[in-house]
Amino acid sequence: MRAQGLLSEVTAVGAGDHVCWVNDDPGAFDAAVHEFVAGGLARGERLLCVGERVIDSLRGENPSLADMDTLLADGVLETLTVAQAYDATGRFVPERQLEFYDAATRRAISDGYRGLRVVADVSPLADDPARRTDLIRWERLADDYAAHGPGMSAMCLYRADLSPEALTEAASGHPLVHSPDHVPDFRIFFDDGRLVLAGSIDTFGADRLARALASSPVSGATVTLDLGRTEFIDLAGCRTIATWARQLRGRSVQLAVLGASRLVQQMWQLLALADVAPVTFLETPA
Amino acid sequence: MTAPIHSGLPATGFDHEALFYRGDAEFLAGVLPFVQGGLERDEAVVVAEPAPRLALLRDALGDDAHVVEFHDMAEIGLNPARIIGVWSAAVDRHTTAGRGLRGVGEPAWHGRRAVELVECQLHELLLNHAFGSGPAWRLMCPYDEKNLPRSVCHGALRAHPVRSTSTERTASDAYVPDGHAAAFAAALGRPTDAVLRGIYGPGDVPATRRTVAQYARSCGLPADRVDALELAASELATNSIRHGGGNGTLAMWLESGAVVVEFSDAGQLLDPLIGRTMPRQDQEGGRGLYLVNQLCDLVQLRSSPSGTTIRITTWR
Repeated sequence: MRAQGLLSEVTAVGAGDHVCWVNDDPGAFDAAVHEFVAGGLARGERLLCVGERVIDSLRGENPSLADMDTLLADGVLETLTVAQAYDATGRFVPERQLEFYDAATRRAISDGYRGLRVVADVSPLADDPARRTDLIRWERLADDYAAHGPGMSAMCLYRADLSPEALTEAASGHPLVHSPDHVPDFRIFFDDGRLVLAGSIDTFGADRLARALASSPVSGATVTLDLGRTEFIDLAGCRTIATWARQLRGRSVQLAVLGASRLVQQMWQLLALADVAPVTFLETPA
Repeated sequence: MTAPIHSGLPATGFDHEALFYRGDAEFLAGVLPFVQGGLERDEAVVVAEPAPRLALLRDALGDDAHVVEFHDMAEIGLNPARIIGVWSAAVDRHTTAGRGLRGVGEPAWHGRRAVELVECQLHELLLNHAFGSGPAWRLMCPYDEKNLPRSVCHGALRAHPVRSTSTERTASDAYVPDGHAAAFAAALGRPTDAVLRGIYGPGDVPATRRTVAQYARSCGLPADRVDALELAASELATNSIRHGGGNGTLAMWLESGAVVVEFSDAGQLLDPLIGRTMPRQDQEGGRGLYLVNQLCDLVQLRSSPSGTTIRITTWR
């Protein structure tokens, strides 16, 4: 099971980590990067740091890490500036990003590393409304890849002065979140072949949920949505899931819902949401 | 003027009749011929009665019982605001198939709490509004004249154009056409005990639902009732913010044997049937209220130019 929840600091690292870190406190961010990177080194992972702010953080006081130049020279650490990462190839294309990180992860593994641990400043993408949709899509692809791929984990850095909407949207797409001033009401992430919806969804978050669902990569004949960690979901949230089920059905994909509360199943029946699209309700295994 | 109405004639329009009975024998003497008359005409017959009279009628019908659709009124009418949805579905199902329909429904049975009987009266008035201009069908509503408060029977006379006993059937002099309008706009009685009150606005929906859930839990309500009230709070606070002027007032108090949670705002609901029938998938609005009506024990909705109040009573 992947690590998930709200973070005040990074205390442990593991396979498939995907952290959204809103940088409200430079000292806390530096400490989080150091813990995240040191944990990756201890796990035998290669490191990739993207963005000047992240590189600066590594160059700072850093008792837990070996000398950065040595790490670079040894090929343990690679760095990219924002321009190199996002602007060099022209338009930001999520699928091309995935190809890049997949190649880098596989290269790390073939070079003898356990995987690739990435710390990336994605603020420039979140800052630009034209690129935000692609960023959401990229975060969904990256989360699937971190959960189910060969061994990538990532910490995504967001500047705290981004708009509250952008920060909430970004935070909602990560299993692990540090965003003290804009705690997302829900988080949606992949785990063990399922899409997990954790937290609370009401009318005011339903559109955000719809965007997250629509941009989540799905494969196979059935996709499983796990509501076992859903504390509350209202009618608009249920209708959003039903609408997504209809969209999936148009692509010949069935939706199975795991761990739905009795109330959710009652809503489904009372509002005849099965007429929107049939959904299979599965009990959580004991 | 009291005009005789011939019960043997097929219904034209919505025929809404209050049957006053004293004891089981009179109940059967009034209801049985009505049901059998429908079956003889090959009409669909739907009966919604409390369990004891459901059993009485089944026994009396013998083999005919299997062609009658029975509902336990204590279930479908626990919250009287759910009953019109059941009749509406029956009307759609049968009249669109070209079949006649007769219903028997006793929402105001002896032993119901006073506040429930108030909602039964509003429900009876709203039936005329809901079905008055639709397809023809007949609904007979039995009233236990011997045991019900006299005010309830007087209310039945105002809500039904036709009154009957096991021996006679006449127009009701007291019937008030469009009587639902005043009842829907009337203010609800004020609570007599201590009230917890708070104001909610945009951004307060999660806090409002958590406050309601916490209060319900602290009152000892079981988990499924707490969950239903939490959902109701979210839906109704959202409605206030979206459609009711942007904010509203939450009030919570205890009554004898009940937990009461009330939402009010400055908006006006123009359709008195809102939330009583199943919304179509393409319909905008009304779903939250429909859900609240289906999930909660007793829901009282009143709306007028001075605002809207939705009071939810949960029995302990």
